[in-house]
Amino acid sequence: MGHLSGERLYEIFARQKRADRLEHIGTVSAPNPELARVYAWKTYDEATWFEMVVAPRDAFCAVNRDEVPFTLHPVETV
Amino acid sequence: MSLVRTDSFKSADELSNPAREALAATLLSLADNKRILGMRYGEWILGAPTLESGIACSAMAQDEWGHGRILYATLKDFGLDPGVLEHDRPSEEYLSSELLDSEVEEWPDLLALNLLFDAALSVQVEALTNSNYEPIHFKTRKLLEEERFHFEHGRGWALRLSETATGREALEAAFRKAMGPSLRWFGRSEAGFGQLLQAAGVSAGTADSQRQAWLDRVVPVLAEAGLEELAAEFEANAELDWSDWDADRRRGGSGGPDAETLARIRGDKNRSMLMD
Repeated sequence: MGHLSGERLYEIFARQKRADRLEHIGTVSAPNPELARVYAWKTYDEATWFEMVVAPRDAFCAVNRDEVPFTLHPVETV
Repeated sequence: MSLVRTDSFKSADELSNPAREALAATLLSLADNKRILGMRYGEWILGAPTLESGIACSAMAQDEWGHGRILYATLKDFGLDPGVLEHDRPSEEYLSSELLDSEVEEWPDLLALNLLFDAALSVQVEALTNSNYEPIHFKTRKLLEEERFHFEHGRGWALRLSETATGREALEAAFRKAMGPSLRWFGRSEAGFGQLLQAAGVSAGTADSQRQAWLDRVVPVLAEAGLEELAAEFEANAELDWSDWDADRRRGGSGGPDAETLARIRGDKNRSMLMD
């Protein structure tokens, strides 16, 4: 997913029930957290979510790999 | 503001004639504005600056049409036929704001509808939710939850555009155009539906208290977006021009939704497919 300059990618996590774990459900591109929240809520509206949170992709720290987390098209080398 | 509901009204029949008419007009005004606002959002599904904002416009359009449908249905309690209200009225009978009469040409103008006018409608819905008219109480919870996101969309875009001088100027021009009609929409201080409903014990809010509630909501966003001068103009609203104000239709000027808008909101093309 491409994004405009000045925009960041935000990863979206949600759970349907309080007892569920948060799961990664998708990504949006947004210029600020306010719009990231709106876009996430309005785009991923397929369920009645108990909770949804967003975080900028670049806030995630890779643990065991060097590449950027959430790479949508992983390089074909192992 | 919430009321102690010691004498709530369970149906429109329990209201005095003037209060019933004022409440029906308030509900119809909300329904008409939301129906057309939904269409305005819908017109930007494919033209919005980003895919995400197009999706948001699509969602907000669906929300508004849903809210309109709920509000038209509440008018059954007033002996009105929602089918006629939705599909069979001429333009001059719509109680919709002059801001919505024709398609908006520029994105900042849509944001003015989104941040300013949509919020004005929400303030009015909240006043009804807190009113002594019970039938509306349980119909507006989801509506107001959805509106939180409409407001955040307007706010997020205001902040985005205000990052550049060009964006800030475009925003300021669009918001200034929408300022008068939005401020006036609550009606005159000393007259209008708000006063009638308050006098009848239906609603605590007056035109002025609602106007203030709306200012308390939108002015901080203008300041956040670096539009301090405009924020001050919004606050100094003593000199509103009421010369072309039509209190019964809650709008400026004698116009109404233009022909294309009217045909689409009424569903004229598909009239033969309407079913009861």
